[in-house]
Amino acid sequence: MAQPPVIRVPKPAHTSYQPDRPLWKNTLLQNQVRRFLEVEKTLSPNQPPGISVDEGTTEGDAAKYIRLMTKRLHRLPGEE
Amino acid sequence: MSAGLDNLKHVVVLMMENRSFDHMLGALRAEDPRINGLTGDETNPDTDNEPAKVAPQAEFQSQLDPDPDHSFPAVQKQLFFGTPGPPAAPSMQGFVQSYWDKQHDVAHSHKIMYYFAPGKLPVLHTLAQSYALFNGWFASIPGPTVCNRAFAHYGTSFGKVDLDIFYVVEPFKSIYERMLAAGRTAKLYYFDPSSSTQEVVNLLKDQPQIFATYQQFLDDCKSGALPDYSFVEPNYSDHPGEDGGEQLASDQHPDHDVQAGEVFIASIYNAIHQNQDLWESTALLITYDEHGGIYDHVPPPACIPDGFQASLADTGGMPFAFDRLGVRVPAILVSPWVAKATVVPGPEDPTNGRVFEHASIPATITQHFIGTYDNRSPREKAAQTFLDLLTDEMRPDSDCPGFELD
Repeated sequence: MAQPPVIRVPKPAHTSYQPDRPLWKNTLLQNQVRRFLEVEKTLSPNQPPGISVDEGTTEGDAAKYIRLMTKRLHRLPGEE
Repeated sequence: MSAGLDNLKHVVVLMMENRSFDHMLGALRAEDPRINGLTGDETNPDTDNEPAKVAPQAEFQSQLDPDPDHSFPAVQKQLFFGTPGPPAAPSMQGFVQSYWDKQHDVAHSHKIMYYFAPGKLPVLHTLAQSYALFNGWFASIPGPTVCNRAFAHYGTSFGKVDLDIFYVVEPFKSIYERMLAAGRTAKLYYFDPSSSTQEVVNLLKDQPQIFATYQQFLDDCKSGALPDYSFVEPNYSDHPGEDGGEQLASDQHPDHDVQAGEVFIASIYNAIHQNQDLWESTALLITYDEHGGIYDHVPPPACIPDGFQASLADTGGMPFAFDRLGVRVPAILVSPWVAKATVVPGPEDPTNGRVFEHASIPATITQHFIGTYDNRSPREKAAQTFLDLLTDEMRPDSDCPGFELD
């Protein structure tokens, strides 16, 4: 019986992983953070935001904040 | 109804980020002239008024840095450079000059014309040549991610052409809400909590029941628990995983590694392919949200207006009634019921050409799983659907490629 053709998919280079890449380089992530900040204001109007965005903010920092906010939002509405 | 459609139980949509058709697939024209890719002679003028030619020199990473501009005003320049602007036909001559605007480097601006050489993208190129490739699938809006992804979820962006938060305008409901209300099942699988969905306000908030993670997608494929409709989002950032390991961004958004996206696409395909029952009853659509500012040679066509008018503040002062499409993006329909090496003609074929856009996604899902449903945007109601590409004949597994991940 003929076997399906199998195509090898190479791994990306190890150096591709750059969590310290500046956030300002990625408009999509910047805006995702901005949208989460808007949502956060409605959830905790009197609390300081979970991230302070400046020139030193990295993609990894953004991911950490997005994780925090995703987990908060996913508790709504049943678990809070 | 074809046997393929009769057997169809699941539709999976994978939407990647920010790459144009010609950039990813333009090279395939040399191997199959039905594919409306590049001849190799296409040019754009640079800021010295010298022609910058397309070249098969695209790299996986570190080439499109800074990120090419794909805001609404920048895309208008890419499309209409050298013309009086709409309603004139797009010239597709402003990509190089638009990229020059980012850092005023003439040599670097030419890189926006680069495309991947044949075989450099083994996953996307293999799938495009094995299943159904759309010559005419366009982003819904000549603008950035969020408004384009909104068309995939709602069939409209509610008048937005940018990355800002938007609000749902009744009566248009998301495809997930429609499916659940009709007693069907639907899930949006985001990568993980550190890279959650781009649909923050309208979907993620208050609707946790429609979300799951990529790991859950893999588990659901294995156990046969995939819902009727699944929408999969890639990983949008380099970040540590829940287990402390490295999670590499797989969205292919510049300047993320394109090869990581290849691995991700292959993993979605494999997850479906490796469960035989699922493979025989699933159609997988792989597409991109928008072109990311990267060159494509096909002028986006006009479409019927969406009933909204964009804010002039968002468009840079240009009136826009959602009556023309964004730049062409890759789109491939995968199923064993698709005839091998199908090329769906686009605008290059005035007789048989078909034009698809992201509103085609909810239009197709609604048509197949729900049936008649009136409360849809004008664009979605007019959108082409794609499940007619499933045939009566199921291809044997020996005719369907598999991917081995290193």
